Amino acid sequence: MDIFLSIVIDILEQGLIYGIMALGLFISYKILNFADLSVDGTFPLGAAVSTVLLVNGVNPWLAILAALLAGCLGGLMTGIFHVHLRINELFSGILTMTILYSVNLLIAGRSNLPFFERETIFNSFPASLLPKPERGNGWVVVIVSLVIVLIIKLLLDTFLQTKKGLLLRTAGDNPQVVNQMGIDPGTMKILGLSLANGLVALSGAVLAQQQRFFEISMGTGTMVMGLASVIIGNVLFAKIPFLKATTQVILGSIIYKALVSLAINLGAPPTMLNLVRGLLFLLILLSYQFGKSSKSGKQGKNGKSGKSGKSGKNNKNAKKGARHA
Amino acid sequence: MKKFRKLHKVLALATALIIGATALVACQTSTGTSGNAGNGTNNSASADASADGSSNSNSNNNSNNNSTTTNSESNDNTQVKKIGVVQFADHPSLKNCYDGLLEGLKAQGYEVGKNLEVDYQVGQAKMDLTNQIVQSFVSKNYDLIVGIATPAAQAAYNAASVKGIPVVFSAVTDPIIAELQNADGSNKPGVTGTSDVLPVDDQLKLIRAFVPEAKTIGIMYTTSETNSESAIKTYQELASKYNFEIVTQGIAEAKDIPAAATSLVGKVDVLSNLTDNTVVQNQQVVLAKANEKGIPYFGSEEEQVADGLVAAAGLDYIDLGKTNGEQAAQILGGTKAEDIKIAYTEASKPFYNSTELAALGLTLPDSYKDATDMAK
Repeated sequence: MDIFLSIVIDILEQGLIYGIMALGLFISYKILNFADLSVDGTFPLGAAVSTVLLVNGVNPWLAILAALLAGCLGGLMTGIFHVHLRINELFSGILTMTILYSVNLLIAGRSNLPFFERETIFNSFPASLLPKPERGNGWVVVIVSLVIVLIIKLLLDTFLQTKKGLLLRTAGDNPQVVNQMGIDPGTMKILGLSLANGLVALSGAVLAQQQRFFEISMGTGTMVMGLASVIIGNVLFAKIPFLKATTQVILGSIIYKALVSLAINLGAPPTMLNLVRGLLFLLILLSYQFGKSSKSGKQGKNGKSGKSGKSGKNNKNAKKGARHA
Repeated sequence: MKKFRKLHKVLALATALIIGATALVACQTSTGTSGNAGNGTNNSASADASADGSSNSNSNNNSNNNSTTTNSESNDNTQVKKIGVVQFADHPSLKNCYDGLLEGLKAQGYEVGKNLEVDYQVGQAKMDLTNQIVQSFVSKNYDLIVGIATPAAQAAYNAASVKGIPVVFSAVTDPIIAELQNADGSNKPGVTGTSDVLPVDDQLKLIRAFVPEAKTIGIMYTTSETNSESAIKTYQELASKYNFEIVTQGIAEAKDIPAAATSLVGKVDVLSNLTDNTVVQNQQVVLAKANEKGIPYFGSEEEQVADGLVAAAGLDYIDLGKTNGEQAAQILGGTKAEDIKIAYTEASKPFYNSTELAALGLTLPDSYKDATDMAK
């Protein structure tokens, strides 16, 4: 039981920290319909900024705020590439990711920067008030990350209900409408990308403080992981009415980490690890498909009988809008 | 459309069946022969494990379902020690550390399948996966965690130090910079290990002997690898001693290699490898460009020479791993990790590839007559 509990804590810890990143991808991928590859660069950017500040004695909470701002700048860059320089959306992300690699190395000074002796958000002021369990600080990490994730989620939910937030959502779904209202959808896109990458960088900063070292390669696969979390969350919890999309995404991130952990703990040999992981994802998504097929068969038919793929996409967007409201 | 939908369903069903079957098989292998679970893929350990599989299947079963059982049970009579090994990337040198580790442990009386259980995982060069692997080791309360390569060792230290599980690191070039060793050279609590300082001096001497007229040495490295940066510094410091000039070519990732290699072979007389993970993994690309120009390409390790590089004054990673195995055995025997000296290995062994040597029209220098020929 002890081991089981400990594994659950690990999953929550990682799931919540990466959940912040998944919320960022939710903004770019789900709201803006933008496949943003720059996150592979902004995630370590946040880690680099917060690490360097920490090493120089800055308060850890200020350090993650600075990381957030740095991430926003990264997103701004992608947005400007795409909207003003008219570069293809995937390539704008690739450009930012590529440029940030060098920027990250410049900021951190070297590719691997540990700070095992420093105070982090998990062992300094507010967190240090929490009762310390006798073995390990897993719970402390979970509580601190939970608080951060919840604050971000609530702020994001509130923001999406404001006029600006509604415009942002419309800019992704139907840019023409925004245009007709006399507002530039491009500006909304830039705003959304900044926000998204800010959250991704914040997540990187929190993760760096949890693992207590910066490593340049820590951004590898961020985009894939985030997309998987968003999709798993949205697909699995679509039917639960009182769950907001943002909550679904956070849960998706936790489930993603749980599946990875399951694959590791199943005792599969290292070469088989990704196969087991892949099969677990497939299993989870398919089990949902089977549950759904009887119910929404008709609706699906309607969507598919449309002439082009576009109607299917609109259908998806319509559903998304409904879920949001 | 209707036909398509039917086909769709059949396909989905078939996939589900396949998954089910695979899952079943996976579960079977993971519970039935769990001694192999950790070592299933690595040849050296699996043979031993399967030989003793039947006698140990009981205790092993417990350990694998350990999310529900307490591990005190399996420790009672058999005294099976459990260690977790996390290797940062799939890489022959790092794998050699692991093989050496098992050998070293065996020499000290800890044998897989008898009184030792090894959970071996590879982090696929991803930090998120590496962290999760280490956390699962910590959760399972293993007796010892071994981290191979710097990021894996740091992740292990971060997760294990909180719970007081000892850590042995392997193949960390600069443990002080990685904060795995105190700046004054003393151990951090609960940590010991081995450092793989590249034998640059020996390598330069070897290159001078093999290609007496060479003036410039080209080195390609990944800008993200700390180990490579410090190795290049050493190369530049020692180059003048052997009248060499060093030309470096930095890359950010694997896909930069073809262009970087073309540019580099145009500027230098010989090439030399560091232990740079990205470059070593893709050295065949560089080798092809070097061969086009007839430039000798020297390695940093025996595996590289076996793969077609001309020669190397290489670190013996199996040996490095054996030292780790001895350290691990001491810890399992009750010694505190901080009381075991961190080992810096600098002794090198010369290796050469006779086929490549002939192809380049070079001859084996007399001073290296005893070197090991790695040609296949």
